[in-house]
Amino acid sequence: MSEGVQLGRKVPDFQLNTYDPVEDKFSNFRLADQIERKRWTILFFYPADFTFV
Amino acid sequence: MGCDIVTVSTDTQFVHLAWKKSEGELAEVRYPMAADPTGKVSRLFGVYDENTGLDLRGTFIINPEGVLVNSEVNFYNLGRNIDEMLRKFKANLYMSKKTNEVCPSKWKEEGDKTLVPSEAMVGRVHEALVG
Repeated sequence: MSEGVQLGRKVPDFQLNTYDPVEDKFSNFRLADQIERKRWTILFFYPADFTFV
Repeated sequence: MGCDIVTVSTDTQFVHLAWKKSEGELAEVRYPMAADPTGKVSRLFGVYDENTGLDLRGTFIINPEGVLVNSEVNFYNLGRNIDEMLRKFKANLYMSKKTNEVCPSKWKEEGDKTLVPSEAMVGRVHEALVG
């Protein structure tokens, strides 16, 4: 199922460029920042923009 | 609830911007839309489809310590139930505070019946749930 991550194990740090709709700006997401801020994260992957649920 | 949702696809952040501004169904979206065009993070989570260059419908819950506590992956043709996603998040949040309790299948929200596993419960889960 999952190649790199495992349930019950720490996820390796990663970062992604983002579009932030609240600020209407490009930004950055980093898992290490979430851990530092003690926040839960839900990552929601989907196939493609401009397609239909 | 102390939780940040981040969506991810292999589109670039420019496409996310364009989609957000054009699609009325996204008007209420306030969470960051992440871009993974190289598929690096998607492969890390095992959702990258090498045949199409697109991500499968995967949802992953990571706790504040960075541990993966839940995963769900659907093929393209089946949408995920958002109520279920929230239920699983709330269950994990609850259990992070009550580490000796587990949430049985009917658990929906705090206040619903949980179980405290023990030797005495082995073979007696029915009594624990009904009693």
